[in-house]
Amino acid sequence: MSVFPAILIGLAMGIVFGFAFEKARVFEPGMIVGQMQFHNFTMLKVFLTAVATGAVVLAVLHGFGLIKLAPKPTFYAADIIGGLVLGAGITLAGACPGTILAQIGAGYRDAIFTLIGGLAGAVAFSYAEPALTPLLFTGGPGKITFMDLTGVSYPVLALGLAAVLVVALVLLERWRPWRADLGADVDGDFGPAEATPSANVTRLKPAE
Amino acid sequence: MQACSLRAKAWSPYVAGIVIGLLQVPAFLLINTALGASSSYVTVGGTIAALFDPAITQIDYVAKHVAPTGKNWWQVALVVGVALGAFVSMRLSGARRKAISPIWGRALGTANPLVRYGVAFGAGFLMLFGARIADGCTSGHGLSGMAQMAVSSTLAVAFMFAGGIATAFLVLRRI
Repeated sequence: MSVFPAILIGLAMGIVFGFAFEKARVFEPGMIVGQMQFHNFTMLKVFLTAVATGAVVLAVLHGFGLIKLAPKPTFYAADIIGGLVLGAGITLAGACPGTILAQIGAGYRDAIFTLIGGLAGAVAFSYAEPALTPLLFTGGPGKITFMDLTGVSYPVLALGLAAVLVVALVLLERWRPWRADLGADVDGDFGPAEATPSANVTRLKPAE
Repeated sequence: MQACSLRAKAWSPYVAGIVIGLLQVPAFLLINTALGASSSYVTVGGTIAALFDPAITQIDYVAKHVAPTGKNWWQVALVVGVALGAFVSMRLSGARRKAISPIWGRALGTANPLVRYGVAFGAGFLMLFGARIADGCTSGHGLSGMAQMAVSSTLAVAFMFAGGIATAFLVLRRI
């Protein structure tokens, strides 16, 4: 596709994406840090629901022969080291590379610094990439998937994954209703009054 | 509470997650790619860096990402759209945010905004450096790669949570 229509489609899809991030509150630092400290499960719920939905729609599209899958190649050291560093950054930012932009749109000023840091990190990696390639991005088993490992077809595995995730989410929701994780200002903040000027912070009553 | 009104401050995470997952349909059918976000930082960062150091485009990795292709600039438009969508949603619901989330004062042990800005810059740097090493982020590996049953993505996401959890307990204070 040429650049101009692709940009229009990207903008339209991004607006929906950002709208969903904001309504889910998953762009809130309180939700991300809370998730990583195991007392807020909003991020996991949004993430696993989106994975399950994606698996179902891709299984259908693939089943009808409408799409080709594009799994990324496996490089064990790169996936492990990159994942660890990415995760550390996500916790300290209280955001993912995509939700930084939602933070900026919603009005968090520190997210502008996260964005600039992210651009700097991407440029630093670009300069390092030729030197890192022989260390991290060589060899490996290639674009392997769980279909290769199990011999089961993609639609069956993807629908199976979605089914397992739905059961896990039902149990998670029963154990911990989503509204309990919102907080008074829908930001996942349940802190002491000194940190929040609006002191009436109750755990089970989200502002609506 | 109206569950999914455009003016609501919060939707069920399941409704929002389904909306996000459905975005794979136009991504695959129209752009022939999967949802992702972190490549766009190379496209934008590389384009800006080339103004100061034109030689950066001689690195194949950069040349590939800054090229005027639909896929490259679709993703840049996607993340710009994320900011617009979040802004519109926030204005409709009135869920205005403070300059800095109140959790950071407790997590970092100081309310000094300069400390938060410095940490945010470093966090962004780590996030994108790590995402580019892993060749994907929470979107590209997490949403898209796991839904495609890729081994690389499952591994990267497992270690992403491991790194995130370790940092949350070892570096930050409990919020």
